[in-house]
Amino acid sequence: MFGQLLDPALLTKPPVDAWPTYQGDYSGRRFSTLAQINQSNVKHLTLAWIERIHVGIGQGAIVGGEGPVPEGPPTDPGVSTIKSTPLMVNGVLYFSTPDNAWAVDARSGREIWHYTWKTRGGIHIGNRGMGMYGNWLYFETPDNYLVSLDAQTGKERWHTEIADVKQEYFSTPAPIVVGNHILVGTGGDSLDVPGFLEAHDPETGKIQWKWWSEPLKKGDPGFESWPDEYSMRHGGGMTWLPGTYDPDLHLYYLGTGNPNPVLTGKSRKGDNLYTCSIVALNVDTGKLVWYFQPSPHDTHDWDAAQTPILIDADIDGHPRKLLAQANRNGYFFLLDRTNGKSVVTAPMIKTMNWSKGISPSGQPIPDPAKEATIDGVLVSPATGGATNWPPPSYDPQTGLFYVGTVQEFSMFYLTDTDPHPEGWGAAERGVGDFGGDLEAIDIKTGKIAWDHHYPFGGGPVGMLTTAGRLLFTGDGARHLVAFDPANGDILWHAGLADDLSNGPITYMLDGQQYLVVGAGDSLYSFTLEP
Amino acid sequence: MRARHLDVSHEVSHKVIRAAVALLVTACAPLAAPLAAPLAAQTPPAAPDPASVERGHATFTSACGFCHGSNAKGGEKGPDLLRSVLVLHDEGGESIGPVILHGRPDKGMPAFPFSAQQIKDIANWLHSSIAATKDRDSYKILNIVTGDPKAGEAYFNGAGHCTSCHSVTGDLKGIAAKYDAVTLQGKMLRPDFSWKEGNPPHQVIALSFTVTLPSGQSFTGEPMNLDDFNVALRDANGAYHSFARTKDGPRVEVNNRLQAHLDLLTRLSDADIHNLTAYLVTLK
Ligand code: HEC
Ligand code: HEC
Repeated sequence: MFGQLLDPALLTKPPVDAWPTYQGDYSGRRFSTLAQINQSNVKHLTLAWIERIHVGIGQGAIVGGEGPVPEGPPTDPGVSTIKSTPLMVNGVLYFSTPDNAWAVDARSGREIWHYTWKTRGGIHIGNRGMGMYGNWLYFETPDNYLVSLDAQTGKERWHTEIADVKQEYFSTPAPIVVGNHILVGTGGDSLDVPGFLEAHDPETGKIQWKWWSEPLKKGDPGFESWPDEYSMRHGGGMTWLPGTYDPDLHLYYLGTGNPNPVLTGKSRKGDNLYTCSIVALNVDTGKLVWYFQPSPHDTHDWDAAQTPILIDADIDGHPRKLLAQANRNGYFFLLDRTNGKSVVTAPMIKTMNWSKGISPSGQPIPDPAKEATIDGVLVSPATGGATNWPPPSYDPQTGLFYVGTVQEFSMFYLTDTDPHPEGWGAAERGVGDFGGDLEAIDIKTGKIAWDHHYPFGGGPVGMLTTAGRLLFTGDGARHLVAFDPANGDILWHAGLADDLSNGPITYMLDGQQYLVVGAGDSLYSFTLEP
Repeated sequence: MRARHLDVSHEVSHKVIRAAVALLVTACAPLAAPLAAPLAAQTPPAAPDPASVERGHATFTSACGFCHGSNAKGGEKGPDLLRSVLVLHDEGGESIGPVILHGRPDKGMPAFPFSAQQIKDIANWLHSSIAATKDRDSYKILNIVTGDPKAGEAYFNGAGHCTSCHSVTGDLKGIAAKYDAVTLQGKMLRPDFSWKEGNPPHQVIALSFTVTLPSGQSFTGEPMNLDDFNVALRDANGAYHSFARTKDGPRVEVNNRLQAHLDLLTRLSDADIHNLTAYLVTLK
């Protein structure tokens, strides 16, 4: 037998010689305390290795799954794009794409094992990565299975179904491990189904608790924000990105997805809790402790799933436990994470035109005139949002929050005039794009401290900051770029074969600091010239 | 063509294609790709026979619509069948069939002595209605010509400053005969718009670059690349030129013929859009 590969204590500390969970640590800030690579030597970063993935059955892959044997190799580009943030534990990298998981030697980039899943269907757009508990790995599939693998061998231990693919659920999140809870969410808003988060037992896969994103019946908390039971039971609110965790408060923080039907709200009058919300759940019971709703009664697909980053900082001279989110709806939010009360709400993009201002509780006030009509309304952001899933970063050394944004306009046309619209209910046509930005936001004011504009590229992309006073990210033009996080000066760049497609990670191995990024179908490892 | 790695909307599985970059890479048609790529499941089921779907629709309307609603979204007496888990799990009528044949008399669902073909037709129609609900790219935009053409004309000639570049007796003459209303509105908002407009799309190459070297020598042409480290263009003779961008490197000017249209988006009210559309559709 092997010893424990992953010591659970590692999860509560800033990652140094490991990257043991999706965000590196529970805070979600994606800031590394490592400084071997720093401003003075970043120019000497050099390529250690590239590993290109080969998806699907073949080349010795371990095969699992409930679906039929596929006729040929997967053709969906999502399957061959590394959007997952790898884990690095004991010199091994673990990462995934839809239906596929790998262990790769962090020293050489060589594959140790490859597991592939025969799918029953579902949208194969992306997979955020794996969770680890001791010697076991966990990942989710597009047809909504939670699969547990033996990290040493890649052999399957068990799998369990978490949602119904026939109802158009499909799962992309990286499971987050807290104590003996494997926290798994799901996605899918093509039909009108409710979202939920589940905790599973790491050994057996059995469900421990389930939290629904909406009230299930009249009288449940939040029911007054829906017209009737029928609308809330078909109300959306997907849980498609991993959350963050505060071990002292014992709270798991999660951003929920948009309500359904997606682009028209006439059959779901009210705020539609707890969709488009940041929620704090008791991690042992799944009970809601507080919520804050960035987009009340959303009608533009702006879910609030983006990483809620946990930050400890002084506000007006007092130390505070805070939570920051750069939201798809175009606003930056800073909350008190003990109670969900607003501290700062500030716009991130100039083109935004859907809100009538900010309420005293810090919530944007939606302008009903900007909900889809038959003859069309012009709205910014587009459904893709001002930002999206790629992980942002918070650097405690600068006090700045780094996020990729984009400024787009779309027309929204109501197409389903039934009193009970279904699915999306309206059509969207993109009509203009003012380019992307890398923004550095001062968390205390919400003001943009500096900004790097990309007239023809950029936009939402993964970020990493380090104690070496470096910000690593991609530019939408196939470069991996190191910025000075204080002022946005470009310090180093390397051209890759594709755009950065995941969140960069860093760790120490054999006394060397490494930087590992995914771009398209390849992982790239960089380190300093010896 | 460069696409963002965006998984929109849990994830609406569409990659938003950069309009501007689409313009940059002029070789790839259509210039402005549809906003959403088709949702790709691994094994897409074959589309059912349209004649069967049509028959199923007719049978459903007469036999079932009274209770389930003519669009199957539910009525006073019967549940929504497009959101029914039983229907979603059905294949070719195998689960729907028994409900039709035996009914659920105690629950208000009568039995119908339908043939296997009739059941299959109804199932096909229900499944195609669900598929249409799921596929938002197929949603049909309805009547968008609701504005006041007079107000549109006044805006065109006045506050909109459209006449500084256009004339309704010149370049825009007969434009309403060229495009249906939705495409015309799209063209007005974004002239490189090519959504559902037939083949070949009307291509608008909007950008050109001028690169001036420290020596004063300059190059103008179609954009091939522009990022923080490189600028590349193809000149009128077809020659490709590429330059490193450094602090003291070449000066780059970007000329966008459609900048005025992009800027319009920050000024137009929805009423302006509706009125202009109502006016433009009169330019037959
Ligand atoms: C007199 C009203 C009435 C008519 C006419 C009717 N139904 Fe129903 N149907 C119902 C009711 C009520 C239910 C719900 C029964 C229950 O609660 O189990 C139902 C249930 C169903 C279900 C099962 C849904 C589920 O999720 O369990 C199907 C499928 C169905 N009907 C199909 C049809 C079809 C096809 C027709 C026409 C051939 C039809 N029905 C005609 C009233 C009707
Ligand atoms: C600064 C110049 C400028 C202004 C001002 C301007 N446009 Fe345009 N417009 C253009 C250009 C350039 C094109 C692209 C023409 C081409 O090559 O097809 C265009 C295209 C169009 C088209 C599509 C034509 C076609 O055949 O596809 C429409 C419709 C249109 N504009 C409407 C308007 C309206 C309405 C306004 C005022 C609200 C306006 N434009 C203001 C420059 C301008």
